[in-house]
Amino acid sequence: MSITLDQVTKHYGGVPVVNDVSLDIGDGEFFVLLGPSGSGKSTLLRAIAGLTGVDHGRIALHGRDVTHVAARKRGVGLVFQNYALFRHMTVAENIEFALRVRHVRARERSRRRQELLRLVALEGLDQRLPAQLSGGQQQRVAVARALAHKPEVLLLDEPFGALDAKIREELRRTIRQVQRELGITTVLVTHDQEEAFAMADRIGIMNHGRLLEMGAPHDLYSRPATRFVATFLGAANLLLARRTPDGIQMGVSTVAAAERSPDLGEHEVVAVVRPEEVELAASRDALKSGYLARGVVDEVMFSGALESLRVRLANGAQAPLLAHANGAAGASLQVTRTQPEQRGFEVRPGQEVAIGVRRVHVLPTPLSSFTACAVSAALAEALSRQPLLAELAARMHTRIAPRVEPHLGVPDAPSATDEPSVGATAIAGGSDCSRRAEWLLRRGAREVLVLPEQPAVPQRVLIHWMSDASRSATLAVSASVLRHVAAEAVYVSIFPEERAGEQRHGLRELLDARSEAQLAHGLEMRTELRFGDVASELARRLAEAPAQMLIVGLSDLTGFAASFRVLLETGQWPVLIVYRASP
Amino acid sequence: MSFRKASILPGFGLTFGFTTFFLSVIVLLPLAALTLAAASMHWSDFVHVVLSPRALGSYRLSFGASFLAAAINLVFGLIIAWTLVRYEFPARKLIDALIDMPFALPTAVSGIALTTVFAHNGWIGRFLEPWGVRIAYTWLGVTLALTLITMPFVVRAVQPALLEVQRDLEDAAETLGAGRIYVARRIILPTVLPSLLTGFTLAFARALGEYGSVIFIAGNLPMKTEITPLLIVIHLEEFDYQGAAALGVVMLVISFVVLFAINLLQAWGRRQQVRAAH
Repeated sequence: MSITLDQVTKHYGGVPVVNDVSLDIGDGEFFVLLGPSGSGKSTLLRAIAGLTGVDHGRIALHGRDVTHVAARKRGVGLVFQNYALFRHMTVAENIEFALRVRHVRARERSRRRQELLRLVALEGLDQRLPAQLSGGQQQRVAVARALAHKPEVLLLDEPFGALDAKIREELRRTIRQVQRELGITTVLVTHDQEEAFAMADRIGIMNHGRLLEMGAPHDLYSRPATRFVATFLGAANLLLARRTPDGIQMGVSTVAAAERSPDLGEHEVVAVVRPEEVELAASRDALKSGYLARGVVDEVMFSGALESLRVRLANGAQAPLLAHANGAAGASLQVTRTQPEQRGFEVRPGQEVAIGVRRVHVLPTPLSSFTACAVSAALAEALSRQPLLAELAARMHTRIAPRVEPHLGVPDAPSATDEPSVGATAIAGGSDCSRRAEWLLRRGAREVLVLPEQPAVPQRVLIHWMSDASRSATLAVSASVLRHVAAEAVYVSIFPEERAGEQRHGLRELLDARSEAQLAHGLEMRTELRFGDVASELARRLAEAPAQMLIVGLSDLTGFAASFRVLLETGQWPVLIVYRASP
Repeated sequence: MSFRKASILPGFGLTFGFTTFFLSVIVLLPLAALTLAAASMHWSDFVHVVLSPRALGSYRLSFGASFLAAAINLVFGLIIAWTLVRYEFPARKLIDALIDMPFALPTAVSGIALTTVFAHNGWIGRFLEPWGVRIAYTWLGVTLALTLITMPFVVRAVQPALLEVQRDLEDAAETLGAGRIYVARRIILPTVLPSLLTGFTLAFARALGEYGSVIFIAGNLPMKTEITPLLIVIHLEEFDYQGAAALGVVMLVISFVVLFAINLLQAWGRRQQVRAAH
């Protein structure tokens, strides 16, 4: 492996900007770190270069641990967005800088310079000053300069950001060519997905400091695992659907899923429909693909090869739900159509059409949507506007549906609806909330989020499960939450005091949990081992610092209210309970 | 007429006229009057006044101390500017404002303050006394006063240049294998050198003309701690206007030559850079 990162973490002012990133980049690989601005990708690159220290974790280059090695001894080449050429030096002096520092002989220096100038197609410009070159030429010089000392790794920090489209294209090709010719391991940081697709062998997508997913461009595009990747990498319509034994049910129609997923019974899922996988036709019978719903064309935009449209879904009880629209009327679907499709069926704004879906991809996330549950409509409405809940839903591109349960918390009272609960159910914290949570869990809720009055967006998420049966589900839910908040994950394992002798077993469990989180969910987490009563240890840990959240897994509700009352009803921390009844 | 070149900007005639007028009335005319006053002297009298041992001693002190003060500020002004530009610390804005204090203070006040502190029984002077180091009433005191007065020039000249040195340049140099000293020498220094020289020139020029603060701390012993401006005042007090004018002319000529030389040096430096480009 050329570059190995192990749980690399960097904080600025308490906020993790790079959060537990682990990554292996192979020899000669072209790896692209893609993410929106502020996602921590540049910080990660600077950490690899050695210009930014890390708070936690290890960095190895070609098997050599360089975590504490100075940048100048790491043997990397770095190219900056603003070129960072030495303006008082000529092109030749710039390129030879690294060699001069290393006291390389003049003859050898100039030989190497000629070689590099040929590589970046700038022969004959040796004696120019940077100010006399165009932006594209300057960046070529910067690439040549970064390669002069034959680094093992080439790092490019948004190298095309300051260039216009045509030059950018040209320089991309040059860099890809140089990279192939030298076979040098390269990491490129960008926020431009087109650039990532064009250059990468493999893409890693970052958001909120976390490396969410990585893979070959095509795999990531066709089978994203997270909402963020689905919507960031190209456009995507996110629909709330139900997984049934027959397929994916969206509204009245059932569409066969593109791939099988582990059978978890019938439950709500998030379906990704790419705009180009949507088919439009005059009637349901004219569709070649699975029928989704009827809709009205809102907007048609011609953009050369493709036509992009917005199609408003018809309202109705059985209409499919767009996840991000929060159930609002007038939610519209993004559609793109090729020229042949346009010729086959021309549409105008205002026209009514039948919508079909060619391909559906289901996200493996267990948190599909939220319901805000209270005893009255007004309270449920108020709860759905609760800042943390609203923030979470917005970040997850999902909706908050109100749910009224007049008998919420009254023992033995039936639920107001017969339908199985969908998504995670949020309730207000405070007195009696443990009874309300238990009431919901006993009536089919799989996740219950208890929200105190003024919770902050968490900076640390504590994870704990009471039994192994709930482990996988807890990890999956935790991973889903942590993809959307810039928080560090800490798995807390708690042993009863009298079993303190079984420490070895406890450590084994910690390691197992960590590796499962990493393998199955791409979730990196820290681990802690504590001794004592579970609920009071958790409460003590939560009280240690502000802005923490707890995710706790259960598979048995016996004695729930008794043991969790204090934990749930006294603190200012949100608690997400994940309940999977043991089989 | 090639003098008035066509320019996109209008108003050249007006502004150039104003520039010459202003320079004439404020600068050139008084200087001419000074030269005229000295010129009315007999040549041998002029030489007598100008080359008297007392006068020669005062030139040495004035130019020597001024040069030393500007040189000290070159080093420490750079460090101060660096600290202010590069680091975030509490009271940074306050310290930044303090830099300009020597500009605002009447120079006599600075001189009195320095004397209080550095006199042999002053706050600092009393600790230096047992070591045989005397600052007040020696050339050291003169240099100290001039250093204080001219400190803002270098700091203010270098600050904007340092702001321009991008962090990325240092980062780039570091990834290319350069150590800190190498980066400072090859990357940072060349970028700030022109403004550093400007600051030095301004500080030196200002120090030559300084009078108020020096006379309090210098002790004003003829041949030892007497600066040329003071000698001029002494001539004036004896109603020897011509002698004062003669010394003034010497100051004028030497200052002009020195400043002109530094300017030429700067221009040469710039040309070297441009030449390297072709």
